[in-house]
Amino acid sequence: MAMRSQVYEWDAGRSGGGTLSFGQKYSIFIGGVGNNITKPAETTATQFCVIEDCAVSPTDYGTQSATAIGTDGSNGPRAYGQVRINTTDYFLDPDNIGNDGIPGSASPYPRSIAFQPSFNLYPDVYVLPGQTWDVLYTHYTGTVSVTATGEHQAFVKYTLYDGPDALIANKLLEMGVSVNPGNVDWYKRTLIQGA
Amino acid sequence: MAMRSQVYEWANLAVAGSSSSIRRVASAVQVQIPADTSVDIFIGGYGNNITKPAETTATQFVVIEDVACSPAYGGAVQVRINTTDYFQNPDVTVQNGIPGLASPYPVGTSSDGGTTSDNILSSFNLYPDVYVLPGQTWSVLYKPRSTVWGIGASSAAVAAFVKYTLYDGPDALIANKLLEMGVTVNPNNVDWYKRTLIEGGSQ
Repeated sequence: MAMRSQVYEWDAGRSGGGTLSFGQKYSIFIGGVGNNITKPAETTATQFCVIEDCAVSPTDYGTQSATAIGTDGSNGPRAYGQVRINTTDYFLDPDNIGNDGIPGSASPYPRSIAFQPSFNLYPDVYVLPGQTWDVLYTHYTGTVSVTATGEHQAFVKYTLYDGPDALIANKLLEMGVSVNPGNVDWYKRTLIQGA
Repeated sequence: MAMRSQVYEWANLAVAGSSSSIRRVASAVQVQIPADTSVDIFIGGYGNNITKPAETTATQFVVIEDVACSPAYGGAVQVRINTTDYFQNPDVTVQNGIPGLASPYPVGTSSDGGTTSDNILSSFNLYPDVYVLPGQTWSVLYKPRSTVWGIGASSAAVAAFVKYTLYDGPDALIANKLLEMGVTVNPNNVDWYKRTLIEGGSQ
C-alpha cells in the first residue's frame, strides 16, 4: 500500500470543544480545539504528500430579514481554510499578502443542495519529503465558545506516497509531470518495459 | 510552487462606521452599495479590500478561471483588464457582466437573499479562461441593479468570488510561450511543455 488516499475531518465541537476567536487561525491538526492529533502533519524522507481537496463549513449571504440570516447578513461561520507548508501560506491575495484561504462558500463541507463547490484545488498542493504541512481554520462570525458539533468543520483529502512510490513522485515532479496515482503507475510500467 | 491555485472572496462587510477595511475583520457590518454602482472588489472602497490593485509583474501570468457573485439585488460581475471590460453586449456597448443568477456564489444560494428557498445553480462556465499578461492590471467589478442596504432593518450581505491560477517565474515564461503557440494555458499544458523541453534536451 505505497499510495494511499487519506482523509482528515475536523470538528471544533468534538473532544469537549474549545474557544475559537474571530479572525484567528487554528490548526485542524494541533490547534488545541476539537479533535486533534498528537503531532504536526509532516512527511518523512520517504514520503510525498499531495493535497487534493480542502473544504470548511459554508456560509450563505443574504438579507437580514430572511430566515436564518444573522445580523451581519451571513448564515454560517464565514469560515476559511488555508494550507500552510512549513511556514509559507499557500493562498495569497493579489497584493501578495497571505489571506485566510479557501472560503467555505466556495468549497463547502459538508456539501448540500444549498452549498455546492465552486472551487477545485487544481493544481494540487505538493508536500515534499521532510516538510511540515497544516490546514488552518479561520472564522469571523458565529460561536466563539464551541461546544456543539457541526458548526465549525473542516475536511482535507490527500494522497500519501510512501517508499518507492515517493521516489517516483519526486522523479515525476522533476520531469514536470503531475503527481497522481495514474502517472506513478505509468512511470512504473515504463521502468518495467525498459528492463 | 510556480503554479498556484488562488481564490479571493469579497463581501460588503466592514468595520462599523467605515465603508471598507483592509482584509476581513471580525464584528463586521453590512455596507450600503448604491444601485448601478460598479465596485472593484479589490480596491473599490466597499467591504474587504486589499492594499493595491491586482496586477501581474513582469514574471507573472494570471489565468482567471471563475467569477461569481450573490444573485440577489440583480448583482453581476465584470472582469476588467487594464481599462477594458471583458464582457460586452453584441453591439460592443458596456454591460454589467456575468449575472449572479448565471454564476451564483455560493452555488446553491437563493435568488433573493434567502427569503425564498430556491437553490440557484451555475449556468455559466468561464471558458475559455481570461488571461492577464505580464504587466497588466486587472480587476473584478461587482454591480447590483438595486441598492444593497447597509446596516439596519433591510440590510443585506452580498459577496463575490474569483478563482484564478498564478503562474510565476519560469512557468510564466512557459505560459507566454503557450499563448504564442495558440495553446491553452493550464497546468497540464505547462507541464507538457516542460516535458517537451526535457525530452528535447536529453536527445
